[in-house]
Amino acid sequence: MSGTISIARSDQETTISIKGRFNFEMHSQFRAAYQEETTDKSHSRRFIIDLAGTEYIDSSALGMLLLLREEAGTNEADIEIANARPEIRKILETANFQRLFKIT
Amino acid sequence: MKILIVDDDRINSTVLNRLLSREGHQVLSAEDGRAGVEMFASEQPDLVLMDIRMPHMNGYEAARAIKQISSDRFVPVIFLTAVTDEEGLVQCIESGGDDFLTKPFNRTILRAKIEAMERIRRLHTELHTQKEELERHQERVQQELDISQHLFSNIVRAGNLLDAPCLRHMSVPMSQFNGDLLVASYNPAGGLHVMLGDFTGHGLSAAVGALPLSEIFYGLTAQGYSIGDLAEAMNDKLLDIMPTRMFCAACLLEVDFRQQSLTVWNGGLPDVLLVDGQGRLQHRILSNHLPLGIRPFTPDDRKVAIFELRKETRAFLYSDGLTEATRSDHEMFGSERLERYFDGSVPPEKLFDTIWAALEHFRGTAQQTDDISILEIDCARAGEESSGDRFSQARKKVTPTNWSLSFFFSPQLLQTVDPLPAIVHAIMNLQAPTGHRERIYTTLAELFSNALDHGLLGLDTRTKRTPEGFLRYYSQREERLAALAHGFIRLELTHIPQFDEKQQKIGGEMHIRVEDGGPGFDHRRVHSALEDNTGHGGRGIALVRSLCTKLSYNDAGNCADVVYRWTI
Repeated sequence: MSGTISIARSDQETTISIKGRFNFEMHSQFRAAYQEETTDKSHSRRFIIDLAGTEYIDSSALGMLLLLREEAGTNEADIEIANARPEIRKILETANFQRLFKIT
Repeated sequence: MKILIVDDDRINSTVLNRLLSREGHQVLSAEDGRAGVEMFASEQPDLVLMDIRMPHMNGYEAARAIKQISSDRFVPVIFLTAVTDEEGLVQCIESGGDDFLTKPFNRTILRAKIEAMERIRRLHTELHTQKEELERHQERVQQELDISQHLFSNIVRAGNLLDAPCLRHMSVPMSQFNGDLLVASYNPAGGLHVMLGDFTGHGLSAAVGALPLSEIFYGLTAQGYSIGDLAEAMNDKLLDIMPTRMFCAACLLEVDFRQQSLTVWNGGLPDVLLVDGQGRLQHRILSNHLPLGIRPFTPDDRKVAIFELRKETRAFLYSDGLTEATRSDHEMFGSERLERYFDGSVPPEKLFDTIWAALEHFRGTAQQTDDISILEIDCARAGEESSGDRFSQARKKVTPTNWSLSFFFSPQLLQTVDPLPAIVHAIMNLQAPTGHRERIYTTLAELFSNALDHGLLGLDTRTKRTPEGFLRYYSQREERLAALAHGFIRLELTHIPQFDEKQQKIGGEMHIRVEDGGPGFDHRRVHSALEDNTGHGGRGIALVRSLCTKLSYNDAGNCADVVYRWTI
């Protein structure tokens, strides 16, 4: 059982919304969602990972976020993790991901 | 193809035989069911054409017998029948027949049916071969996994002191390999280092990272490095070897019974819970670092939290597999449910078992989705020795010789590294008196920290007498060390071999001098305070006195001379 991913693009921003369970089964889906944007390094792009509909997040998902951060090659402020529920926020903060991402 | 015809009607049989022989098949004939089964067993044909009404054994029974004999391979049985009624055909299929052919025979249909059966048979054989291959492969993989697991657990377990009386632990892997790493070992000063690590994911890929980490853990702990040093070395190693999406959430602790302190580095693990003598949650130690293996360390990443250790304190640490354990309706165990046990209703010594039993009960038969680990440190038993062999590794023996060393440390160096482990390591490589490592380390460590804390930084041991002062002491130490601009610490060590009356070497003497460039401190006062043994810290000089033959300070109190004697 895993979640679903939807993507919304504008000129400078890509919003990736994850509904349901964000775990290792989402790996290829999640990667496919950002890969198109990250191959073009000529102009920087903001990523918003919208976790409003995310029920659960595991360490593999945290790993995917790290991978996005590396492959996007952007600075900290350009990846925003938004709308996480309190339980998920706690997991992100336990891992101190607020030092790597902008958590809003 | 080898085809067996079972038919008591000779004309039928002959017609068929001729037909099939002309197609290039090898044909055998039997006159009744029983003879057919016997011939099938001895000749192993690829296909059987079977009449139904025959003497001795009818076609249905013969087909059943044949299917039983050939259970491991597929041999099609085609019934030859004049009946076309439904019930007759159902009986054909029920007795194991694969198809039927109505009399009189049509050559084209016969050929088509045989070809179709041949295709099915080939598919079947192929499937069977693949299945066998898969089974062999699976067996090989399992064997390799078993061997790897054996190696893995031996490497991680070598020197592991999880059986220390003050520790209780439970670690249940989800698969054969545990992605949670749980290790413990004593440092040369007698402090206990404990680590719980939780790698991304689980299973073999998660467990592989545990090997280098356990090696670093044991190696650096034995050399006297601090847990901040350990964390940095592990982080460097994981950055080198692990892919970006893997990391290790980890918590390292040092339990120092002599200084009565608990030092914690927590990067990404759930809160460490400190519980008081009534079983109530007294303090939680939050993760204040990134997990290991994400990015290079900055000086801030080495920072540890220091707590005063009381005898009745118990510390609990666990991996998130515990709180994220789910039961069949997908509800999680959760940290709230866990922390409810720390409200004073459960006696502290029963907490560990109670929590574990509650978890088992909660999970029921639900499938495990992550590795689960929990560890308890019982500070009351922290001073008890483990039955395990503490320093079993063999060292080369060097006969006592004359040598000396001299070190000079500037404030800049003292601010960046703790030089002690490197020095002790160097000494041990020159002359390693077996069984003396910890004593020599402790002697040097105490003299060195006196020179630094009191001599150069002007800290007052008495500050440590109250719990608040205890914490103030360490924050003062940090501030003053960072601001230190002048002064030095000089360490001189001379080794002189000792002889008996027959001029045989019997051991050696280490003359150690530790001098600091500070204004000096009242060693008499420090000393007497220590002999009173008044609690928090400051038992250093008394300890050195008990370990060494001679200890003297100069009048200014900034130069200590010690003689350490050892025998072969």
